Amino acid sequence: MKRRRSLFLHLNQLKLLAKKFALVILFVASLILMLLNKNQSLILDQASGAAVKFAAPVVDVLVVPAKLLSYGYDYFSELKRIKSDNRILRAENKKLRLLQDKYKALEIENKLLAELLNYVPLPAADFVSAHVVAEENNAFAHSMVAYIGDSVVEKGDVVLSDNGVIGRVDKIADAYAKIILITDINSKIPVMVEKTRVRGVLSGDNTMVPKLIFVPLDAQVNVGDRIVTSGVSGVFPAGLPVGQVAAVSKNEIKVKPFTALEKLEYVKIVRYGLGGLIKQQEDGNE
Amino acid sequence: MNEDISENIVSFLQKALPLISSAVILFLAYIPVSMPILNNVRPDLGLICIYFWILHRPDLFNLVSIVLLGLWDMTISSALPGSGLFAYLTLYVLLYNTQRFFNAKPFVVIWYGFMALSLVVLLIKWLVVSIYYGQFLPLSMLMFGYLIGAALYPLVSAVLAFIQNKLIQDEGL
Repeated sequence: MKRRRSLFLHLNQLKLLAKKFALVILFVASLILMLLNKNQSLILDQASGAAVKFAAPVVDVLVVPAKLLSYGYDYFSELKRIKSDNRILRAENKKLRLLQDKYKALEIENKLLAELLNYVPLPAADFVSAHVVAEENNAFAHSMVAYIGDSVVEKGDVVLSDNGVIGRVDKIADAYAKIILITDINSKIPVMVEKTRVRGVLSGDNTMVPKLIFVPLDAQVNVGDRIVTSGVSGVFPAGLPVGQVAAVSKNEIKVKPFTALEKLEYVKIVRYGLGGLIKQQEDGNE
Repeated sequence: MNEDISENIVSFLQKALPLISSAVILFLAYIPVSMPILNNVRPDLGLICIYFWILHRPDLFNLVSIVLLGLWDMTISSALPGSGLFAYLTLYVLLYNTQRFFNAKPFVVIWYGFMALSLVVLLIKWLVVSIYYGQFLPLSMLMFGYLIGAALYPLVSAVLAFIQNKLIQDEGL
């Protein structure tokens, strides 16, 4: 009897102690979660993937009323611009037809030269068009969730808009893919200046204009230079347009993405089958 | 017997309403909208919900609710895992120590209180995450997000007040 009572007292004391230190324990737990992320924990990755699987459909449903309002507003505001847009598009179409002829001639020439040099081309790319269902743009993260249905998409696949690279697939959960944008602090893309072929890394910093790092000190980079992927590391194929140099100062080079990342409704997830460093990393984890 | 079960379910749902409503409102911040300002700078609606419910219904919204909401936020956010939970816990600690001050105060005072406390919370979160990444995150985006959150407080709290007054019935009343 005495023993039982003392056990009960112990349990009560433990409960009280736990209550007292619950906050401290929770604060420590949240810090541990942050540190786990630094080690790219597989458990955390899997748990997060499972959570996206559950959470994304909820956002998908919640998005419907907001989308309807947004479509209504867009419809009426676009009606105003239709006439002027039509004129501009006709002129643009004329130019594009000329360019198309040039492109066809260049394509044939390129094919012939490649055959002469015995050049091994990059694998053909498959792509999936995905609808954006959720976005996150703030001081702490830049990402989006897109609906991919039952299409085959892998971690590390390149995500493009009409104008160029916007990010890469970070997680896949059933019919949804979480995409890390090029402006996110976790995004690092090997790029080069198209004109001079100077290489560097486009590093997101959670602002709308990511910075170019690891550029040689003597490299000539000017405002307006086009930035394309360099293909180093094997995740992104070379030559995909990314952005334009927006500012060059003593300490940093800022690049403005070609795509307005906040206005995307659909994205193109492209599978080049390169895998690269991400694939190697995953194999290493296994 | 059946009535008892249905009564229990209704009572449980009413008790869980603060958490459920907060979870739904938290997700609203992730909906894509065609407004450049809102799309570039998203406010943390979770802070508003926590602030409101702890001030008005601490009996239905406790530390467990905050942890669940923090984990819920982690499911969809790409921000550093645990950073959202850290911010919510910080707000809880701050509110816990200042709660008495807000008792029976007019709405404007409560709103100013939210502005002050959420600013402190966001700055602490910003500092912790900046230390983690070894570089300062954009303070301007943080401040814009904070201002939008502060401006949205009356609207979100009106929705929450509606839920509190119309949908949650107190036992014994």
